[in-house]
Amino acid sequence: MTGLDEFLEELVADADAVCLFSPGKSHYETLASDDVVVVGPDNDVEADAFVQLPLEFEDLRDRIRFGVEGAVDHGYVDEDADLVCLAKVFGEDADTVARVRADEFEKSGVYDLFANSRAEPSVIRDVLEVAVELGKKGQKGKPVGALFVVGDAGKVMNKSRPLSYNPFEKSHVHVGDPIVNVMLKEFSRLDGAFVISDSGKIVSAYRYLEPSAEGVDIPKGLGARHMAAGAITRDTNAIAIVLSESDGLVRAFKAGELILELDPEAY
Amino acid sequence: MQIEWPQVVRSVFSERGAFAASIAVLFVGVVGSYIVWRWTRTFLRSAGVSDAVEGTPFERTARSFGTSTVGIVSTIAAVFAYVLAIVLAVNLAQLGNPDLFWQRFTGFLPSLFVAAFALIIGLVVGDKAKLYVGERLRSVKLPEVSIIPELFKYSIFYVAILIALGQLGVETMALVVLLGVYAFAVVVVALVAFWDLLRSAAAGIYLLLREPYSIGDRVRIDDNEGIVQEVDVFTTRIESDGEEYIVPNQTVFVSGIVRIRD
Repeated sequence: MTGLDEFLEELVADADAVCLFSPGKSHYETLASDDVVVVGPDNDVEADAFVQLPLEFEDLRDRIRFGVEGAVDHGYVDEDADLVCLAKVFGEDADTVARVRADEFEKSGVYDLFANSRAEPSVIRDVLEVAVELGKKGQKGKPVGALFVVGDAGKVMNKSRPLSYNPFEKSHVHVGDPIVNVMLKEFSRLDGAFVISDSGKIVSAYRYLEPSAEGVDIPKGLGARHMAAGAITRDTNAIAIVLSESDGLVRAFKAGELILELDPEAY
Repeated sequence: MQIEWPQVVRSVFSERGAFAASIAVLFVGVVGSYIVWRWTRTFLRSAGVSDAVEGTPFERTARSFGTSTVGIVSTIAAVFAYVLAIVLAVNLAQLGNPDLFWQRFTGFLPSLFVAAFALIIGLVVGDKAKLYVGERLRSVKLPEVSIIPELFKYSIFYVAILIALGQLGVETMALVVLLGVYAFAVVVVALVAFWDLLRSAAAGIYLLLREPYSIGDRVRIDDNEGIVQEVDVFTTRIESDGEEYIVPNQTVFVSGIVRIRD
């Protein structure tokens, strides 16, 4: 196995920093002396250099890309640093070593979407999960669409009008509450946008968004729902998460731009 | 009941028979206490006690003596059963006069064991409570906060010792008064320290239930005017051009709120 050892040694040689993706505690402690950045949903190991990536992206490429982006944003690693990434893909323990340059990727803004939005990262993650779940289930097998506007709820409410009675009036349901999973099927029947506050409270459903759509640049071929989502995020500090009815993808918008595209089936 | 038994046995057997019966009782006591020991051990194990006490100082002390919490508790139960058998046997054989001493001794015995159990349970629960509270406060990164779990631990120790002493018939009035004063002080300090928080929470619960204003409304509280962004139990967040006012909910009640409709 000497050839393999050599190869591995060469792979990790002269790396500027190590990125650990959701490491276990003992695992982290054996490596803690090096230049280590921990990436994951929670800082379980209490690392100093920690990048919160609330979503465990199934695709390793995405996970590394967005994690590294966060590490650069934080200033934990330089933009031209050579990085060795340890991640778990198959099992419970780290089983994959990857080597990347920090400037290899185009800036996607996904880390920025989570970390620098008005809403809390966990709220954004919960909404994404609700959208993904809704995309998987659909209604009676038929695809459904949905639009969630997250954060800056006061302003969003002022830039929209009700289409019908608000079923969430005087209720205190938060995304991430177990009851939301039960209500998913009902969600797909409601038209209009869901408005969710910074702390995750579902403020309203049945909202018709009335932002000014000037200067919104979203890919051609996307429909009115996506246009509304892009426009409202440009007009307010909210972000929008859209489940497309036609192609079944979940997309996230911030500041009028498409940031993230997820396939619910692959997630 | 216990006083009656020897007489009953005596009237059934002869004097010599009573002696044999007392030997038999001793023997049954040995077997019985072994069964009690086995049964307590398996019961405590299957109830998950050994896992629950894992890592507490009491368990560690017990380990250093080559036993465990479960072992100690079951041994105490067995000793209790065996001592009971001995007392019964001695009573039967009338070796000592079944006088006041035995009566008091048998009367005292259960309290002694309850006291021992109370102490053990208190020690274990106290340590567990400390661990649990410490775990809950772990996210609070403040060095001084580590005193709270300790306080919890010693409060529980104190109550356990009180129960044990009470069982033994020791005069605990002064200690109870001390406990009362301590509890009172905790409540008073909490009330004074959290007075504003409590008032805000009371107002906040009303606001959440009745929703006199909700997210998206334009309101004015005191001189702070803006759009309501968030209402939670303690505060209301109001935002106007780049400024976010975080208003404690009690001010809503003290100075009222103006809803601005246009």
